[in-house]
Amino acid sequence: MAAGDAIRSTRPGGRLGRVTAALVQWLPLGIVAVLWEALSRFLVGGDLLPPVSQVVVNATDLLLQGEVLGHLSVSLFRVAIGLSASIVGGVLLGIGMAQFRAVEDFFDVLLTMTYAVPKTALVPLAILWLGVGTGTAVLVIFLGTLVPIVVNTYNGASSVDEKLRWSAEMLGTSDRRRLRKVVLPATYPAIFTGVQQAIPFSFIVLISAEMVASRRGMGNLILSYGQLGNYDQMFAVIFLFSLVAFATVGVFNRLRSSVLAWE
Amino acid sequence: MGMSVNLPGDEFSMPGLAYLKSVYSVVLLVVVWEVVAQLGLVYYAFLPPFSDVLVRLVSLSLSGELVFHAFVTLRRAFAGLLLAIAVGTLVGLLMGRSRSARWFFEPLVNFGYPIPKISLIPVFILWFGIGDLAKVLLVATDCVFPIVVNTYRGAESVDEKLVWSAEMMGSSRRRRFRRVILPAALPDVLTGIQIALPISLIVTFVFEMISGGVGLGSLEIQGVREFEPTIVFATLIAIMVIGLVLDRALRVLRGRLLGWE
Repeated sequence: MAAGDAIRSTRPGGRLGRVTAALVQWLPLGIVAVLWEALSRFLVGGDLLPPVSQVVVNATDLLLQGEVLGHLSVSLFRVAIGLSASIVGGVLLGIGMAQFRAVEDFFDVLLTMTYAVPKTALVPLAILWLGVGTGTAVLVIFLGTLVPIVVNTYNGASSVDEKLRWSAEMLGTSDRRRLRKVVLPATYPAIFTGVQQAIPFSFIVLISAEMVASRRGMGNLILSYGQLGNYDQMFAVIFLFSLVAFATVGVFNRLRSSVLAWE
Repeated sequence: MGMSVNLPGDEFSMPGLAYLKSVYSVVLLVVVWEVVAQLGLVYYAFLPPFSDVLVRLVSLSLSGELVFHAFVTLRRAFAGLLLAIAVGTLVGLLMGRSRSARWFFEPLVNFGYPIPKISLIPVFILWFGIGDLAKVLLVATDCVFPIVVNTYRGAESVDEKLVWSAEMMGSSRRRRFRRVILPAALPDVLTGIQIALPISLIVTFVFEMISGGVGLGSLEIQGVREFEPTIVFATLIAIMVIGLVLDRALRVLRGRLLGWE
């Protein structure tokens, strides 16, 4: 991320230079992989920690068999629905709180209270309401990611440049139009920041909900492989899901910087 | 990294009178909750009356059960958090002040931070059993990342003039670390801890739900298994109070420590 770019930019240009720089930059991950491999082959044994090469092979096998893809798509579907709902709800609530005193007064304390709840504690409640499965996972993801989006949107929308709002008012723009054309666009960067903070939480809460209250999805798959003693598969699925989470965060950060390039 | 929740600012704090005026929504919700539940408009398991939950909360507290579970949970979470603070501050300071440390740790942190460490629960059970050790170590593994990242940011942006002056006055490298760099990085270290605190509880709860035994997480999930919704709601209220108190406590601590900020 930021500091990585700094290292890259100090290197002389040219493809070879860039490749070397990237190699040097990511070499520590290679070192850790070699240590892992050695640790598992010579010290602890493959039962406790399969060698990293074995994990990669197993992960590829699992992918080719295809069963894991079903679980992965269930998990990603849950995240997509839960996160979309919290983006829509969070942006509406955040802007509503920034614009209308009554909305702010009503939700302020409620948000402070929900903010203080470590979100995985909501899993049992969601089970009471929706039983075991997708509904529970989606609900917990929604509740778990709502707060950062509301807080960021609220902060962004309350600090919209007063001059912009006055100008729009003076030009005779209606309240609704002003919200859509002035306040919302000025709040985009804050909304993106909120979503950026929400994404890692959505994965944490997803895995938690799936481990405790689901018969499908990556969290459930990891836990049941562990309980059955299929540790090779367990490590492979964790590896796959880590890559997916890492890639998602990376793609979103790229998206954010390209969308907000004008900032 | 931009993954941190905005903690240091006190976005929702209010002075006295406004506070009283603004809690009306909570009172309203509780009244609606009680009425809806008493009229039997929803299933008991879905939403037991608030008064029943209160009765359960009081009886769980008086029997000492709730306190015991909370104590066990907090002990696990704090032990993990303290471990993460020790390791994370050290690594973060090193990354901020040494090129080679930065080179080594930066890709590991960049790769490790976005990964949901919570998926390692079965791995830690395999390695360390289902007791306290596994929970404490997983909490530490998860909490160490925000602390490293924020400490690093703070240590990196220490005013170089301060460091030079200390150097010129002949203070040793170790002393400089303790007397100049650590205090200057303290606000960011505290931000890291503020982000890590809820994570420590999040991890402990889920681990307890899965491994069973004692702790607020297992108490809550036990309420689900035994069809005792009042246990679930009572535990949740206790968890909310604990979360609020800890969050406020950290903010007060921050204010005390950074009086000069």
